[in-house]
Amino acid sequence: MSEEIKEFGPWLGRQLRRKGMSQVELANELDVTRAAVSAWITGRAEPRMEKIKEIERILGLASGASMTGTDIPDSSGNVEWHHRLAYADGGRELGNAAAFAFDSDLAVLAREATQNSLDERFDSSRPVRVRYVLHEITGERLHRFFNAVRWNDLQPHFEAAADGRQKVGRVLRNGLRELKEAGGLLLLRVDDYNASGLTGPEYDDGKFAAVVRRQLDSRKSGTAGGSYGLGKATLWAASQFGLVMMHSTLSEPFEERRERRLIGRLDLPWREVEGRQYAGPAWLGEADPRRDGAPRSWWADERTINDLYLTRGSGDPGTSFLIVGVHDPAGEATDLESMHTVLVRSLAESFWACMVSGRDSAPMLEASVEALRDGRTVVAEERVDPHRYEPARSRAVRAFLDGETVTEMTDAEGVVSATVPLTVPPLKEVGRPDAVVHQAILLVTPASDDEGPNRLVCMRGSHMVVVERPVSDVPLGSPPFQAVLLAGQATGSKAEDAELAENFLRTAEPPEHNDWKQTDDLTATYARGAASRIREFRRAMLDQVRAVVKPPEVKVDETPPSLRDLLRLDPPSTPRSPGFPTVKSATGTLDTDGAWRVRVEVRLPEREDPWSVRPILRFATRSGPRPQAGWAEVTAESNCEVTDDNRLLFTAGARTAAFSCVSDVAEHPVAADMSVIEVDLAQAKDEIR
Amino acid sequence: MKRLTPYPVLVGDVSLEVREARLDDISLPFAMISVPQRMVALHQVERERWETARLSVRLRTPRQELASGPWRDEGCYAVLSERRTNVRTTARLHQEEPGIWTGDVVVHRDRHVGRVQLTGHVVATVDGTAGRQIGTADETWTIDLKARTPVKSTTIRTVWADFGDEGNARLRPFSADPWTVESVGEEPVLYLNKGFEGLSTMLESSRSVDRAARDAVSAQIAQDVWTSLFNSAVYAIDFESGPPDWPGGWQESVLKRLLSDVFPDRSPDDALAELANRRRTGDGGSDLQTRLLHAAAKQARLPRNLGAFIRTVRRSGQENE
Repeated sequence: MSEEIKEFGPWLGRQLRRKGMSQVELANELDVTRAAVSAWITGRAEPRMEKIKEIERILGLASGASMTGTDIPDSSGNVEWHHRLAYADGGRELGNAAAFAFDSDLAVLAREATQNSLDERFDSSRPVRVRYVLHEITGERLHRFFNAVRWNDLQPHFEAAADGRQKVGRVLRNGLRELKEAGGLLLLRVDDYNASGLTGPEYDDGKFAAVVRRQLDSRKSGTAGGSYGLGKATLWAASQFGLVMMHSTLSEPFEERRERRLIGRLDLPWREVEGRQYAGPAWLGEADPRRDGAPRSWWADERTINDLYLTRGSGDPGTSFLIVGVHDPAGEATDLESMHTVLVRSLAESFWACMVSGRDSAPMLEASVEALRDGRTVVAEERVDPHRYEPARSRAVRAFLDGETVTEMTDAEGVVSATVPLTVPPLKEVGRPDAVVHQAILLVTPASDDEGPNRLVCMRGSHMVVVERPVSDVPLGSPPFQAVLLAGQATGSKAEDAELAENFLRTAEPPEHNDWKQTDDLTATYARGAASRIREFRRAMLDQVRAVVKPPEVKVDETPPSLRDLLRLDPPSTPRSPGFPTVKSATGTLDTDGAWRVRVEVRLPEREDPWSVRPILRFATRSGPRPQAGWAEVTAESNCEVTDDNRLLFTAGARTAAFSCVSDVAEHPVAADMSVIEVDLAQAKDEIR
Repeated sequence: MKRLTPYPVLVGDVSLEVREARLDDISLPFAMISVPQRMVALHQVERERWETARLSVRLRTPRQELASGPWRDEGCYAVLSERRTNVRTTARLHQEEPGIWTGDVVVHRDRHVGRVQLTGHVVATVDGTAGRQIGTADETWTIDLKARTPVKSTTIRTVWADFGDEGNARLRPFSADPWTVESVGEEPVLYLNKGFEGLSTMLESSRSVDRAARDAVSAQIAQDVWTSLFNSAVYAIDFESGPPDWPGGWQESVLKRLLSDVFPDRSPDDALAELANRRRTGDGGSDLQTRLLHAAAKQARLPRNLGAFIRTVRRSGQENE
């Protein structure tokens, strides 16, 4: 055993418990008074060397065992399941109320368990590391595991509990059936490192008792995320068998020891097994002779730890929870791969902010997820990278940590920082006279459209995401963005207002910790108007987001691009097939009289009614009106006839036609050989130019 | 319309190119000359008070055809003209080598107001008659005295203004309107109300989610603009003295763009005559407005843009249900 014994007393006390021997019995064997034994155990006195040797003999240990701290070895006689007997009043609990308080699924489990780990951070200069290991075991591994967890002793209890018609019974039945059919068992181990571990005494107030023994007990300090003690219930809810094993390395020694404190807890509904009625919970542990054989944690050997798949990766303090027969209560993730995905997503979604590190600061949290089958890797350990899952928000927090925020949105990566005031009203009881104003920090950064933009997340404490909501009524033209609000101690401020705001906001959270609103706790704790202050805060943060993203009024002296094409004034392009008769070709010569003799081919658009046009002769000019001249003679050639007033009436349905004409020399404004003429067609009855 | 000349003319291509521009003998950056747009932008902030702009031009003529044709004493000219001032300036080019004619043409600032057209012409003696035009450059260049970039922007001018602002006395009565059109004077102006919340950000938005709404609003604006400008242009047609004449300026441009849709089965000249006729007789006013709405909507691409908007709204409506 690696740990060096510091004192004889606690060692002796532990051996007596392991042996199930009382102080009186030892006193009788040694022929000393009980008071003397008590004095040794409490450290008020130490026995002489020969007495120590005798004690080692009585306990069946090798000589010198007390010096090396060697314990009486574990035996199946020492560790067993202890089922709480049913209440004498006949009351029955058919499920764990705390477990039903949640919409439980794996994602919630990851959120709650990790939040607890964050709350139990030990060395605040280093991150808490959480590791989720999914492990499916079959065959010999499963056999060894069942031996270690004393599965056979539980079997009758499972069968009895599975009979119930309750929800728990159904889940249990499924679990037992799957176990039988598939012959495999799915384990999820949730480790944390650099956390407090399950410290404290067996029965009195402390973290150990809060997690192992009590319901709805939260042993948490001020900044903690949870405050209802509901989180741990998700661990049991995730086990089809209601079975969770716990292995803790303590940050503070208990019974002079830190390593391998082990206990298992089973949560089953009321049941009757072999004629005896049981209340529900059961513990795997040593019988405590000092408490009528009540179950207590034991200091396990390495082999047991190994058989239970509870071996921890390092000597750092913290706890490993092993969820036996893990399933997704939501029923969505059914295999290792999909569970891996759910866990990674959930960790990224809930804790991206805690996993962002600044240039000079470590993140608060590091998280990873891996999946194994019978010791072989199925999905390699994935370190959850916040920048991969929440790029814009992570960028915002990093810029804040690095002090690189800006005041105006100018580029696609910039992070704007602004403040949002929160008025913290005085407490009802304490005579603090005035409200205090806390300045929460708002970070806004442009985001891509595929990140689900225009949303605001609010955090307090150790960057726990409390509110996640869309921002409505975003000013037109603002870029898509992500906004992050840091309130209370999340601002990094150590000032009093930050602490007061932190407490105020925690009080305003419902059990799910997903909103800031009026709660019973809030109205009970704070002076009148507390709910209004929360409402004001919520409104102020949205207004501030809108103000930040509102694009500056651009001085536009130009046509907007979308209008530019619609307002073009340049001449329209000539249509390839105009909707009116056109001259297809015109050839002509001057005859000896000075008259133009012109042959014209006409192209006619499709129309039922026959087209009627007048051939026009104009003399071209450099600018200004072009004078017209009349025809002396118009002759139809094809698909047309000439009317009395020298108009042409084309055959209905014809697409081409031809005619020829001779100009009236008397009407020429200038000599024809000195000018250029234009030939055109007009539909108008009147003259057109 | 086909042109007939009573003497032989060039069949081959004649092309005109501006090589360089100098403002009061200081060379203009070549970026101010755009060959593809056939455009020269003369406005430079640094030289507000220039007097002359000298353009070096080059004209290419079909060498073979010109040498072997029935023409003599061929000459090439570059001509500057501006319709609004009715000024014509002609510069003779000299033949640098067969088929290539170069020379300078000078733009006098005080003779012009806006856009000057630059054309190239080939003249020769034909059948004993001197100075007959036998060819014209295919392309016309535009020299813009006001433009800063050589872009042939012939867009209706748009001005953003806060209609509610004290300084905008004319616009104040319309302070609640998103836009209005001023169609008097040399240049019609579309005023967009800066004070109308969201209008400028929406119209300037390049986000894909805003596109449908932005384009629908743009089409709506454009339809109003075209309708309003057309109605003003109708009154600019002079039909009192003889056949109706194109009014010139923006009114002519507006009429030419719209008339082909107002009277689709008439040639532009015919359509103008019909328009003048209706005005003169007072007949067909309502029918004209219906036709105008159609033409303006088409010009504004209203059917397409509004259709896209409705589809988008419907789609997002279904998603929200």
